Amino acid sequence: MNDHRSVTIVMIEDDEGHARLIEKNIRRAGILNDIRHFTDGTTALDYLYNHQDGPALNGPALILLDLNLPDMSGTDILARIKAEGGPLKRTPVVVLTTTDDKVEIQRCYDLGCNVYITKPVNYESFAQAIRQLGLFLSVIQVPAIEGDA
Amino acid sequence: MYSVLMRWFGTTDRAIRRFLITAMALGFVCLLAAGIAATWAMTRTVAHTESVKHTYEVELAIARASNATEQAEASRRGYMLTANPLALANYQKAAKALPGLIDSVARLTRDNPVQQVDIAELRRLNMDLQQRRAATNALVSGGRRQMAIDTFAQESGAQRIADMRTLAARMAGEERRLMAVRDADLDASLRAFYVILAIAGILLVLVGVATLLTLLRYTQDLDRSRAAIQDFAESLEELVAERTADLTRANDEIQRFAYIVSHDLRAPLVNVMGFTAELDTATGALAELIDRAEERAPDIVTEEARLAAREDLPEAIGFIRTSTEKMDRLINAILKLSREGRRVLAPERIDMAVVIDGIIATLRHVIDERGATIVIEGDVPAIVSDRLAIEQILSNLIENAVKYLQPGRPGRIVVRGQRSGPRVSLEVEDNGRGIAPSDHARVFDLFRRAGNQDQPGEGIGLAHVRALAYRLGGTIDVRSELGVGTTFRLSLPATLTEVQEQR
Repeated sequence: MNDHRSVTIVMIEDDEGHARLIEKNIRRAGILNDIRHFTDGTTALDYLYNHQDGPALNGPALILLDLNLPDMSGTDILARIKAEGGPLKRTPVVVLTTTDDKVEIQRCYDLGCNVYITKPVNYESFAQAIRQLGLFLSVIQVPAIEGDA
Repeated sequence: MYSVLMRWFGTTDRAIRRFLITAMALGFVCLLAAGIAATWAMTRTVAHTESVKHTYEVELAIARASNATEQAEASRRGYMLTANPLALANYQKAAKALPGLIDSVARLTRDNPVQQVDIAELRRLNMDLQQRRAATNALVSGGRRQMAIDTFAQESGAQRIADMRTLAARMAGEERRLMAVRDADLDASLRAFYVILAIAGILLVLVGVATLLTLLRYTQDLDRSRAAIQDFAESLEELVAERTADLTRANDEIQRFAYIVSHDLRAPLVNVMGFTAELDTATGALAELIDRAEERAPDIVTEEARLAAREDLPEAIGFIRTSTEKMDRLINAILKLSREGRRVLAPERIDMAVVIDGIIATLRHVIDERGATIVIEGDVPAIVSDRLAIEQILSNLIENAVKYLQPGRPGRIVVRGQRSGPRVSLEVEDNGRGIAPSDHARVFDLFRRAGNQDQPGEGIGLAHVRALAYRLGGTIDVRSELGVGTTFRLSLPATLTEVQEQR
């Protein structure tokens, strides 16, 4: 569990309700990692790249990204994170959004997103997806540490 | 004159046609008149020629008769002087021929009373002369020549001969006069002929000119209207292109709108659903607490609290759930439609029989379960179109037919296709419960359904079908009678050519 704690979960999600539900389900899945929540792209990017606790400067992270943000498109953020040679290239990104458009999903994978989760209206599926995220989190642990080392 | 005519006949097409027909009729009448006049003139000329010939014949006959008279007189005198029997024979020959010659003149001038009178006079003079001549000849034959010469001197024969000559001349003159009259007649009729010909000619020329002018004007009008039509067609094309662009823009707008709306509606719905689930969990915990409190300290549990935890909250949560689920389905339907509208069509040759068989195979279990039969009637023509769209349309229609059967009547569904010119029509006919006439247009609207709401569904299928049909350049309509059956008829271009550019 100690190892887990070192991975910061960065959640970029403009909908407070969604953020709360995601957080609740992550906690319910038994994941105790820090969760940093941002409601817009600008401050999120600032944290990711410039904050002293941010993943670019310090420690591994998992990014939960919503595609519909008020100030910029989530795909732009994704493209920037996954850009060749960037400090966050290996940081896993989970796209969590309401869009289940195939083209959109494909585009996200093309840009390098690691997991794409559609927010289903059916809450059970949603909770299920988030809990699986917990499993995913334990799997990514090793390379994150390696990247850090 | 032309303008007067034009005013009289008017300038509409019908009037012009009327004018042309009248002009042609008039032209024919002129030609006919000229023809009749020519025939008439020819007859007159022939008759005149006949009469000229007749005149010459009469003149010849008169001349012969005069000649014979002179000859008879000369031979008589010769006989008297010489008593030569040859002279007597000459005389007798001439005298014998004379009545016949006079008769021929009489015959020729039978129709002319003036001549008849003269001929009677001629005959009388001739008879008289004949008698006297016979007498003198007899005297000469009897050898009394002197007596004959004396008798001749007394009888003033020369006077008679002169009379006869005058008479003959008068008769010839009469014939000449008649001929002059006939000549004048001929001249008059020829003049009349020329006048008729001239009038007919002038009329023909006038009619021709008027017709030509009318035709020219008509042609000009036609040219003008053709140019106008051309202009109109061109502007119409522009207009259509403009409208199509407008429509496409509007359609794109709607698609985008639908897409955005359905997306943005979904986000709050996720919250509603999520927190409802949280509420549900919390209600469970509360209900458990109430249970335990009832067990251990029943006095602290109020009736209200019990009702709230066990009935009111679960009921409210249930309603919220079903409503949210329904809303999610509706939003998904809009999303699906808008996504379908953005899909790029890929026309390919489609064997309809295979497609229909495939759909029937997919629906086989439902069909069997409901005890329906599906028949493909005749050969369904192949078309070139978007396969997915065609499959979706037909499977929706067939599924509907299987779904909305008339209770108590085994379902029978007929699928048929027919090519007519550049289009193919496909029909799905059933003997199901039918659609009321007031709902015929409504069933194609999104979220609208007809009849008993006893079957699951959101009222999306036919809206989807219609949207697809429109995208494929087709139309769809419905014929139905309540309680009897329904026929959906899809009309599609046999070859989908214009693939609309999608964003």
